[in-house]
Amino acid sequence: MSAEVEEMLKRFSAFKNVQGIIVVDNDGIPIKTTMEYTTTVHYAALMQTLAEKARQVVLDLDAANEFVLIRMRTLKSEIIVAPSDDYFIVVIQDPCD
Amino acid sequence: MNMGRILEDVIRKNSANTDRITAENTIGYVVAENSTGVVAESSFDNTSAQAIVKHMHGVLVAAAQSMVRDLDPPNKLCYMRVATRKFEYLIAPEEVFTITVLQ
Repeated sequence: MSAEVEEMLKRFSAFKNVQGIIVVDNDGIPIKTTMEYTTTVHYAALMQTLAEKARQVVLDLDAANEFVLIRMRTLKSEIIVAPSDDYFIVVIQDPCD
Repeated sequence: MNMGRILEDVIRKNSANTDRITAENTIGYVVAENSTGVVAESSFDNTSAQAIVKHMHGVLVAAAQSMVRDLDPPNKLCYMRVATRKFEYLIAPEEVFTITVLQ
């Protein structure tokens, strides 16, 4: 698993407008990050709550569906959260438009 | 009454946009007022629309907005896309209304 995580990190860091990448395991502990520690922990905690809520909301609206990705566009950046089996990934990048 | 008038103005101004959006690959849309959660417009039946508003707007958008502000107080959420296996929700919270499109 960690080999594919490394590979993903390398791929994503190659994009110029990526500000940071965080890989968080299912307990909410960041296992890999390209940002500084306090920010990482902050993001990890909040994103885990959000991912959990998103999963619930999608399930409530349609029991056969499941959520795959969330993209949040804010004034300053774009945050993408993608869940996976053992972990979820948070990418923070510059908004493209 | 006031909300109704604002809504009519907005719809008239944006009818070209709305036509374009609904002509594309969309499944439907919901427009709901932020403060009351009342559904103003929807292409779905009322029950589904209300459910979408209650779940999406009430839980997820609120959580995302508070989270964005928590991370950086002057920052704010502009829009959100929630991709699921079957389709995608595009959610735009405005000042008065929140618009959700499913595609």
